[in-house]
Amino acid sequence: MNRHNAHVRVAVDIGGTFTDLHLHDGRSNKTFVWKTPSTPADPSVGLLEGLHSISELAGIALSDIGMILHGSTIATNAVLERKLPTGALITTKGFHDVLEIGRHMRRDVYTLNAESRPLLIPRHLRFGVTERVKSDGSILQPLDEAEISRIASQLREHKVQTVAVVFLHGYRNPTHEQRVQALLNDLLPDITVATSFDSSPEIREFERTSTTVLNALLQPVISSYLQRVDKRLQQAGIHARLYLVQSNGGLATPADAARLPARLLLSGPAGGATAMSILAQRHNEANLVGLDVGGTSSDISVLTDGSIGETQESSIDGLPVRLPMVEIRTIGAGGGSIARVETGSLRVGPQSSGAVPGPVCYDRGGDQITVTDANALLGLINPDTFRTGGITLNVHASGNVLEETLGTPLSLTNSAAANGVLEVANSHMADAIRLSLFEKGADPADFALAPFGGAAGLHACAIATELGMRRIIFPAHASTLSALGILQANIRHDLSVAALVPAHTDSLPALQRAIKQLLTECKDKLTDNELYHEDCAIEFSGDMRYRGQAFELTTPWPEVSAEGEINEQSILALIEHFHTIHEQRFAFTARHDPIEVVTVRAQAIGKIGGTVTTETFHNTAGKPGGSAENRQVLAASGENTTIPCISRSDFLHRAQPVRGPLIIEEEYTVLLIANGWTVTPLPGSDILCTCNNDA
Amino acid sequence: MNNIVDPVRLEVIRNALLAGAEEMNISIWRTARSTVVRETLDYSTAIFDGRGRAIAQSTRIPVHLNSMSTCLEDIVEHHIPLDQWNDGDVIMTNDPYCGGQHLPDFVIFKPVFHHEERIAISAAIVHHIDVSGGAAGSYFAGAKEVFHEGLRIPPIKLTEAGKDNQPVLDIVRQNSREPVKIAGDLQAQLAALTVGARAVERLVKRYDNATLSQAMEQILAQSEQAMRDTISAIPDGTYTFKDFVDDDGQQAQDLEVVATVTISGDRCTADLSESADQAPGPVNCTLNMARSGVYCALLSIAEGRAMANSGAYRPIDVISREGSIVNCSHPAPVANRMATGHRVVTTVLGALSQAIPEQVPAAYYGVSYVTALAAPDRHVKDERRVYFEIEVGGWGAYPQGDGADGFSAGFHNLANSPIEMCESIFPVVFTEYGFIADSGGDGQYRGGLGLAREWQLDEEWGLLSGNFDRFRHPPYGLHGGEDGSLGRFLLIRDNQTTALPSKVSGVELQRGDKVRLETSGGGGWGDPTDRDKAARENDQRGGYVST
Repeated sequence: MNRHNAHVRVAVDIGGTFTDLHLHDGRSNKTFVWKTPSTPADPSVGLLEGLHSISELAGIALSDIGMILHGSTIATNAVLERKLPTGALITTKGFHDVLEIGRHMRRDVYTLNAESRPLLIPRHLRFGVTERVKSDGSILQPLDEAEISRIASQLREHKVQTVAVVFLHGYRNPTHEQRVQALLNDLLPDITVATSFDSSPEIREFERTSTTVLNALLQPVISSYLQRVDKRLQQAGIHARLYLVQSNGGLATPADAARLPARLLLSGPAGGATAMSILAQRHNEANLVGLDVGGTSSDISVLTDGSIGETQESSIDGLPVRLPMVEIRTIGAGGGSIARVETGSLRVGPQSSGAVPGPVCYDRGGDQITVTDANALLGLINPDTFRTGGITLNVHASGNVLEETLGTPLSLTNSAAANGVLEVANSHMADAIRLSLFEKGADPADFALAPFGGAAGLHACAIATELGMRRIIFPAHASTLSALGILQANIRHDLSVAALVPAHTDSLPALQRAIKQLLTECKDKLTDNELYHEDCAIEFSGDMRYRGQAFELTTPWPEVSAEGEINEQSILALIEHFHTIHEQRFAFTARHDPIEVVTVRAQAIGKIGGTVTTETFHNTAGKPGGSAENRQVLAASGENTTIPCISRSDFLHRAQPVRGPLIIEEEYTVLLIANGWTVTPLPGSDILCTCNNDA
Repeated sequence: MNNIVDPVRLEVIRNALLAGAEEMNISIWRTARSTVVRETLDYSTAIFDGRGRAIAQSTRIPVHLNSMSTCLEDIVEHHIPLDQWNDGDVIMTNDPYCGGQHLPDFVIFKPVFHHEERIAISAAIVHHIDVSGGAAGSYFAGAKEVFHEGLRIPPIKLTEAGKDNQPVLDIVRQNSREPVKIAGDLQAQLAALTVGARAVERLVKRYDNATLSQAMEQILAQSEQAMRDTISAIPDGTYTFKDFVDDDGQQAQDLEVVATVTISGDRCTADLSESADQAPGPVNCTLNMARSGVYCALLSIAEGRAMANSGAYRPIDVISREGSIVNCSHPAPVANRMATGHRVVTTVLGALSQAIPEQVPAAYYGVSYVTALAAPDRHVKDERRVYFEIEVGGWGAYPQGDGADGFSAGFHNLANSPIEMCESIFPVVFTEYGFIADSGGDGQYRGGLGLAREWQLDEEWGLLSGNFDRFRHPPYGLHGGEDGSLGRFLLIRDNQTTALPSKVSGVELQRGDKVRLETSGGGGWGDPTDRDKAARENDQRGGYVST
């Protein structure tokens, strides 16, 4: 055991509405769950409240907490709400508009005025300096250092707090970027500086600039938040080690997070995706689709052959982020998605009623029918579920609005219209899942569905049916699943070296150099984290493409030895892996075409996540919700049918398979088991749901 | 008659067809080889019904998407009747006189069968990097007939009963300055058709042939109704507008494009027959192209309410005169057809601005700025590299706000090529890429700014071509708004600047030569004296407008 392996670990997932916590006590091998309202003005307040409550529940002292693993949407919200400091961009002279021009294609094809394009640094704060690096990394024009002092005085004048430095081909030769950083550190010690080489050392200037700018703007935000957390923890007598969850699902130290905060941008869904792999391991599922249905949107993640899909690029609010992260497809379909009639069709989303005014049935001024209204109208939502959040459901109001806006125009009864809303919403989610799997060349029939988040349980059977999926796993603690994932996360560093060499045995020396360099950097990072050899794993991969392609496939390279040695055989193996992956994804290979290795990557993993055994899972917050009596549900035909209803804890307690239709209720969510499906309790309080005609 | 598909199932099928077109889109993007396809994204994908009517498009390029259905009609009527489209076939053409656009654009179709019935056709159009002809990228400004422009492929079966027509693929490779890239791009294009076919097969297995084809009928009817509603909202009347193409690159003569648009109830007729005679140089549009321009203008007025497909075209009639610049006759050259194509869009919109002044924006830049460079390969002796890119300019100001700066507008929709990617592949070093101050027309709302893109040749020699327009006739302003700026193409050698014509090829470059393109800004809207003070200050602070 190393010093990271504290007895008491707490995972925290701070979302917009709730702060979820899971505490694992290694001494008793018990896990406790807690949920408390978030405090958006200063999320560290809610964090401390949660720590107090869960410690009390677990019967431990605050000072017993050895490790806090922190996931949050703080970076994401700062960007979405533009709560960012004043930043500037320093770039190669002649190219200060690259950030604003972007890739200049539009998403709205037929329109008279252009969609708005987000821009985080205004033109008068973007500065070009004389310098130039060529594509091979050689210096064409030296940096004019005198210009930097002139720019520094303007930065001071405009009260700039943070600066992004991005030079053309800076991913290949960072000398000029690093020199500017050093000069600014001397001239303006109070401002933070992010270079593109540090932030995202990858080719394509716009995407790299966008990522670096986000990194620069978030540095002060995350630093000050971490200082507040640190202070509050100290005041409370907590001396735990703190780690932050990154978009790749791995953990980072506060120092690394403050330096590279763009890596936290999509950490919200990453915890859920990590939980997917735990779920898969627990039940021996090789292939899982995670479906997290929230109020305004749904997140889809895919686990294939036991590993979570990752991508090297994503975006936030239309701004590209070029960093390794868990691959999530987000679509505008959730509980709050609005249904309307357009040219005789029933359309649902992507517009959402949001939390305010919300669905009609919330009685908060919402006057458009949402997916939640449809569920409520059909009798699928227990009003008690909402009472905890202080909402009394007004289903009558939903009925009136539905009749007026959907039923009458489409000549449908209310029950048919409400069922129709669900069917269309489900088809959106199914199409999105199919698209996610399509990109991997995978067939939905080979996957099980894992629904979580507040609203997924009602839609899972219908979506699985539409996709031809035959197994659904309803995880325990569906509403706090991200925190469970975080509890078992590991420290992770993603490092890369630009290579751009032919995938050929002739490239052995170049590839060997790249690997050795990465290995040294990985070991340094892990040593900084005070991790010892036996707790570490370093995995290599190569981003490869047929010569001429724009997109590389990240190809795992297990043939690299632990000492970072490769030979001609390992290069041939890498090439073979690439052909296989290309065939899987795109249904063809070009075996006679030259292949390139564009980037060599290394993942350094510091294993600190102990396994939380499921049998000892101690559920305390999940009080059985629901009155567990039969429920009247409206069918599309308009007839009332009676569906048996049971609380999750009762169902698990009985430990017997039950055939649908059935409603299973728990505190924050409801599961609808459709006709034709059977549910069986699984170890770890999870529930397996299978298609009957499978048997 | 089939049973009507209920509104819920209809929406489910519609979503699935759109998702299918999108899967095809992703498939090409991820696997293509040349920068014009994989970075500039000059391609489009769509799904048609079994009778060849466009149903669902990906979010790509209007000029492609709205000409594919007329292309297919042409092929079926004059070349390969639909009853000869068999399972496992792929039909292909690039011939502008058989329904195509210009020679680099390969249009390919694959019929999809279920229970021996043709239920759909998946289709993709890709701009290929080079198909020979008088200049790199097959944009030869000096072409006097289509025979000068490159390899011409009539409608043929590229694949027959699942077997590739290898000799045709060999001919294509042999006739390209970039044989490896064209073969790779064609492979990506073919794979996308299979992806689209699979999407349709999934749907038809879940429902059945009759339901799917009935749903497609209803999707067409919905689009038709939405377009009729859009047209009905425009006051009845006849509106005429004219705009100009600078010249054809061979004769110094304005080429007039005239649209007389008649709105009558829920129908719209665009009469283009007063437009100039076809030109000797390659700025001519086939009728398919011109129709596509009219459809694009009306779909923009509908702003997404009418799903773009063959149903939306039904209430629109296009009248033209054979032998004119908007309905050219064989063998007129057509490579730079977009010079005139964009003008069809801006002319129809200009006419409609008289009917609905509070909706229609001033003119956007209206040019596909195509630059092509042929240079020797750095590594392989006697091989050519073709550097090809398409740039854009500023949007016209609209009645509620400023036009977008440097953003794809109107008839095309393209991404730029990353500078770092270009420099890694081609012997060029960029020296500038940015907005041009003062290039947007002044007005109550300002036109969007044009772009400057400048690079230097880093190789012993190069052969340069440019295919542009709006060097003499600027994008128009409306209602007192000023015109946008004119474009320029400059060669800078030993500090001497030479202005090149808007349509030029075969310019011999030497190491160190700089080439600078300046694109047009959009027109302004409304009286400049009505411009908001804060907006002017903001323009000056950012240097969008010089002080």
